[in-house]
Amino acid sequence: MTIRIDPEENEIWALRQSVEDWRNKRVLEIGCGDGRLTVRLARLGANILAIDPSAESIRVARSKKPARFTDQIRYSVGTAEQLKSKAESFDIVAFAWSL
Amino acid sequence: MVHALHEANRVLKQGGVLIDLRPAPVHRRVGIEVHGDFRLVAKMNEKFDEDYAADRAVVEVINEGILKPQSRLRFDCKRVMGSQKDFHLWMDEFAFIAGLPSQESLIQKVELAYKSTFGRKRIVVRAPLILRVLQKI
Repeated sequence: MTIRIDPEENEIWALRQSVEDWRNKRVLEIGCGDGRLTVRLARLGANILAIDPSAESIRVARSKKPARFTDQIRYSVGTAEQLKSKAESFDIVAFAWSL
Repeated sequence: MVHALHEANRVLKQGGVLIDLRPAPVHRRVGIEVHGDFRLVAKMNEKFDEDYAADRAVVEVINEGILKPQSRLRFDCKRVMGSQKDFHLWMDEFAFIAGLPSQESLIQKVELAYKSTFGRKRIVVRAPLILRVLQKI
C-alpha cells in the first residue's frame, strides 16, 4: 500500500511555527505509529522518546528509523495513561493524533 | 483522556509545552487530483464523539490551572494515494478503526470518478488539522 501523508509537510511547518527551536529539546511523542512524524521531528534536531500502544507499530517504526537518527530517536511500547518516565523530564510532550 | 493529560503534565518540565495535534472535527473530503487540481467527489461521514471528548479534556486541565493555552493553528493536511487499491485498503482500515459502517458506496463513487478522469491523477483525502500548544504553569 502506497499512501503519502502530508506530502507538503504542513505539520512540520505548523510545529515550527509553534515551537521556534527544537534543537536538543527532549521530546516525548505519544502515539507515534510507524514513526512518520518522529523522523520529521528528529530532522528538526529534537531528541525523542516515541511511544505507541501497538507493538507492531513500534516494530515497523524501528525498522524504518534512519541510521543517522540512532542516537536521537528511541521507540518504546507504551500508553499515555501509564508513562514510565520520571517527573519533569521532557521539554515537550506531543500527542500525535492520539489524544 | 484527562488522566493522559495529567500524566503528560507530570513528565513535563516547568514551563515546558504540551502539543495536541489531531484532525479537526470536520468531515474529510475525498477527491481526485489531476495536475494539482483537486476535484471533490464525496465527503466522508465520520463520528466526532472522541474528538469532542478530547476537546473537553483539554478544557478541563486548563480550568484546573495546570496548563495554559499558548497558541492554536489550523492547517490543511492531505493523504495521497496513487491507486484505487490503495484507497480501498485505506478506507477499510479507517472504517474499522473509527468504528464506521461499510463505506462501499463512497468507495464505488470515488473509483468511478477515478476511472473516468484522465491525465496524471491520484486520489486525495483532505482534512484540516489543529495544533494546540499548552504551557505547563
